[in-house]
Amino acid sequence: MAKELIMSGCASAAQAAKYAKVEVICSYPIRPYTAIMMELAKMVANGELDAEFIHGEGEHAQLSVVAGASAAGARALTGSSGVGVTYAFETYSPIAGGRLPLQMMIADRALDPPGDFGSEHTDAMSARDQGWIMGWAENPQEAFDNSLIYYRVGEDHRVLLPQMACQDGYFVSHIPGKVVLPDQSQVDEFLPPYKLPHPLDPKHPVSHGPQIRPDQGTIMDLQRAEAMLAAPAVIKEAIADFNKIFGRNYSPFLEEFMTDGAEMVFFLQGAHSMTCRHAVRHLRSQGVKVGMVRLRFLRPWPTDDVASVLSKFKAVGVIETNTSYGGATRGGSLLHEVRASLYDCPQRPLTTSFMAGLGGEMVPLREFYYMAEVMSKMMKEGKTKKNVYWVNHEFDEA
Amino acid sequence: MPYFKIPKEKEVPLACITPAPVGEQPMMITGNWRIYRPVIDHEKCTLCMNCVMFCPDACWQLNEEEDEVVWNAKYCKGCSICVRECASGALTNEYELNFADGVVRLEKPF
Repeated sequence: MAKELIMSGCASAAQAAKYAKVEVICSYPIRPYTAIMMELAKMVANGELDAEFIHGEGEHAQLSVVAGASAAGARALTGSSGVGVTYAFETYSPIAGGRLPLQMMIADRALDPPGDFGSEHTDAMSARDQGWIMGWAENPQEAFDNSLIYYRVGEDHRVLLPQMACQDGYFVSHIPGKVVLPDQSQVDEFLPPYKLPHPLDPKHPVSHGPQIRPDQGTIMDLQRAEAMLAAPAVIKEAIADFNKIFGRNYSPFLEEFMTDGAEMVFFLQGAHSMTCRHAVRHLRSQGVKVGMVRLRFLRPWPTDDVASVLSKFKAVGVIETNTSYGGATRGGSLLHEVRASLYDCPQRPLTTSFMAGLGGEMVPLREFYYMAEVMSKMMKEGKTKKNVYWVNHEFDEA
Repeated sequence: MPYFKIPKEKEVPLACITPAPVGEQPMMITGNWRIYRPVIDHEKCTLCMNCVMFCPDACWQLNEEEDEVVWNAKYCKGCSICVRECASGALTNEYELNFADGVVRLEKPF
């Protein structure tokens, strides 16, 4: 029977792994994601979950262990945060290129220096171009749901890609929220057993990850590109099924909140959308025609959806909880992709970006009000004055 | 429906997962990397097997019928380890360019 509980994002992610019946888990501690592994270790010790629980000697080892497990035909899980995510960087391309659909749960964390532990999206976003399915959960329920959806999409033979199931460190990973735990039969219906088309098997010996020639490298790149091209249709299918089986109401790529009659929208991903909803409701009550569009998948980037949804508005404020130092807009990387998606639209909104929620800071309501003010001004003047606003740190306010 | 045009001769299996080779791996010919080629003087060779033991790519094998070691041109990268390890001075380096079948003369590099 499905039951409703209050639990943190880490606890709900661990529950998702249990429902998905993961077979091999490899851990290495780093906060905040480490609570996922604590929960799983308990489940394995108590006999609730029949999985190999392996202690890696670091993140690079963690990813290497699960790559082997996945190649051998086991549903595998690992995870990390912050500098742990970047320490394992070398393994991301071979895992994606080797088409091993394992899952890495990330509770994000600001990168060093000097040892900040707050939430920021830069850690996992640094690995966004390696061929992993990736997106952020807004709350513990979505962290649970995304994990199951990602396994299903990644393991689909039309895709076969690893997944980074991300959630905001602390804001999601450690703040309890309502989570509906489904019945096991629902999950079994949604997520078929793990079946790799090319597993390591002593009866049919194959070479995984052999040395290849440069002319074969291009073809390997094409294979990974093809998998990403195939992914959106598979995601739509999976989410339609998920909504049906679990009685949820997810739109696959973009969630629109109070966008009816909106002239301008906040565009963001992850936990700060919780506060953003309150800000939108308040601003609407004051007569400001604002809404919110929340990104559910960073990879594959939903180019067409972003173009069709955002071109309905007059102004878009992209809230970056990541950094792209020296990038085209000198702020974060979301605006790059938003603008690239909108470029071919006949009717383009004015766009700008806001650096907020960096280093684990909250994005309080007053910051959303400030952003709305900047966007209103932008609409009034009919032009984008600046590509990026470092919220609270601009000399020239709005 | 494939997304990209890939000519038949360029096809690579999914994730380049290949049947485990028995003996040689025909998908990874490395002999054309050579600058030097090890040349054996069978008169001097004492069959000490150092070359067989030390070659990282197993390019020296003992032919038991002929009682001599045989070189595999398809996979020898020309690293010269065998020449250095040869106990009897039977192996010497020669420029690949000096051979009519030298790999640098191949029209197709790969």
